[in-house]
Amino acid sequence: MNPSTFIKFASVSFQKQVTYRFDYFVSVLNGFLYVFIFTSVWKVIFAKSGASGGFTAESITTYAVMAMVIRISFSMEDTAIANKVRDGSVAIDLIRPVSFYMMNLAECVGYSAFHILARGIPILIVSALLFGVHLPLEKLPVAALSLTMAYLILFMLNFATGLLSFWVIEIFPFMLLKYGLINLLSGGIVPIDFFPASIRPYLALTPFQGIFYAPAAIITGHVSNERALVMIAEQVAWVAILAWMCGLLWRAGQNKLVIQGG
Amino acid sequence: MPYLEYILAMGNFEYSIEAHNLRKDFSVSESGKGMMGAVKALFSSKKRAVHAVESVSFSIKPGEFVGYVGENGAGKSTTIKILTGILVPTSGEAKVNGIIPYENRRANGMNIGVVFGQRTQLWWDLPVRETYEMLRHIYRIPQDTYADMMKKLSASLDLGPLMDMPVRKLSLGQRMRCDIAASLVHRPQVLFLDEPTIGLDVLAKENIRTFLKEMNRTEGTTIILTTHDMNDIEQLCKRLIILDKGRVIYDGATEDLKSRFVHDKIMEVEFHERVETLVGIPEVVVVSSSGNKMRLKFQNGNSGIADAISRLASLYSIKDISVREPSVESIIYSIYEKTTLLPKYKDKG
Ligand SMILES: Nc1ncnc2c1ncn2[C@@H]1O[C@H](COP(=O)(O)OP(=O)(O)OP(=O)(O)O)[C@@H](O)[C@H]1O
Ligand SMILES: [Mg+2]
Repeated sequence: MNPSTFIKFASVSFQKQVTYRFDYFVSVLNGFLYVFIFTSVWKVIFAKSGASGGFTAESITTYAVMAMVIRISFSMEDTAIANKVRDGSVAIDLIRPVSFYMMNLAECVGYSAFHILARGIPILIVSALLFGVHLPLEKLPVAALSLTMAYLILFMLNFATGLLSFWVIEIFPFMLLKYGLINLLSGGIVPIDFFPASIRPYLALTPFQGIFYAPAAIITGHVSNERALVMIAEQVAWVAILAWMCGLLWRAGQNKLVIQGG
Repeated sequence: MPYLEYILAMGNFEYSIEAHNLRKDFSVSESGKGMMGAVKALFSSKKRAVHAVESVSFSIKPGEFVGYVGENGAGKSTTIKILTGILVPTSGEAKVNGIIPYENRRANGMNIGVVFGQRTQLWWDLPVRETYEMLRHIYRIPQDTYADMMKKLSASLDLGPLMDMPVRKLSLGQRMRCDIAASLVHRPQVLFLDEPTIGLDVLAKENIRTFLKEMNRTEGTTIILTTHDMNDIEQLCKRLIILDKGRVIYDGATEDLKSRFVHDKIMEVEFHERVETLVGIPEVVVVSSSGNKMRLKFQNGNSGIADAISRLASLYSIKDISVREPSVESIIYSIYEKTTLLPKYKDKG
């Protein structure tokens, strides 16, 4: 897909979000509430136990805010493919001479772009004013790289889960599994540092910590530069592995796909 | 190089569309209701095979306008999905412009236009104009070609007043006009229309027919049209393919349907006085009579119908006479029903 088509798809998806903004204020409030809850919980825990897991009361607040802001910014319509398969409108996507993968990525980028601008950034600003956020600016270029990789990992997990609907109509159980794993293992809620040392090596064998832990830990300066580079290398490896798996799944799925209706 | 095969195939095919023993089976799992049912279905092996398309073969030359008809569930949409590359057949082979659509979906997509009457390809949330802009990017249409084509489509489908309306506010007929235009902006060589006139009023249908005829004539677009409206077929399609339970049961000129399946002609006769029975004209049979009027069936014999009429006129005093031919609709209906012709006739002229 050439860049101009990609941008077209992304901007249409962005516009669509703008059209459906009725639940916008609710979702901003909701996001902000989450930030408030998590920072409050960490405050209570750290007030009792002092520093732990390499965090101080101040740095864990920054981490919690950033992890939540990244989560909100990485909003994706993860049921889009399954819905299109269920109602058969995937047919319309497939009659077009474009890569299904790139089209979904472009639409996802447009969707997220709206959530970054309309929710992520405002929530970041308000949280910074209310709770105090300390971001070392010199980490930003490396963090940007890590954020990009994190985005691709999350997108591909969603894409792969969506493709399962080519085999089974009801992918809700897989979605639940995915939510569970991401909530637990991605560092979006609890930083990986708080997991027992014995299981941390195994977590490193999953793509999950590359989703929120890596970018949040890097952007908040929680990890050293050397560690940051290792984490980004792991993320890049996962992007490659998942891209390969999505390719396999897509090729197998095309033979399985049953276009409903008509 | 996704389009390499297309480039190689270009100009290297006699037929626009070829289907060779196409077959598509769907396996339907007999699942229970709700989530537990869905989970069970994952592991159960209780599957039933539905033969949507049993065996379909045909070849369509460039520039042909072919009607593809059959009862509900005959397998028309399934065939169209295979030919547009979005469904892989269980067995058999298809080629569109020399390439296998389901193996080269994207290359095939460059050359074909598709309208699925029941769903729109317009971007639901955007003004109509934006869809065409999207398509210009997707099909990489040069700006001047695009402007020419849009001008043509806009004029003949009267899109002007619709361009700035959001798609979701269009009426069905308006939406269909926009959809048909969307399937043609990239000047496809082959156009697939799956029930493009569904739910439209007589005038809207007529406008779309006129437009399609024009496209077929001026652009040489090969068109395959699925419809349940036999007026579409009679007015547009020189060739007709009839599908029944996944098999082709007729493939030939629409005109020839009559000589192939209709051996009888119907005459409506009004006499000056009441006539009880006819004598002396053995090839004519009385179907019904009321008052001075009589409905007669002419069975093709050695002599023509004109001969029968002249003998009728010499024996009886006739006030008015008209000969009716069965409509394509009634012929096809009787083919579906596998009955002899039903007395459902349409005036000819
Ligand atoms: N996804 C599917 N799963 C199971 N069976 C299917 C599926 N799609 C179609 N079928 C079956 O295949 C047969 C052919 O369906 P198809 O949609 O091709 O018919 P059609 O000729 O287009 O009919 P209509 O005139 O009603 O549109 C039908 O019996 C239908 O029930
Ligand atoms: Mg159909």
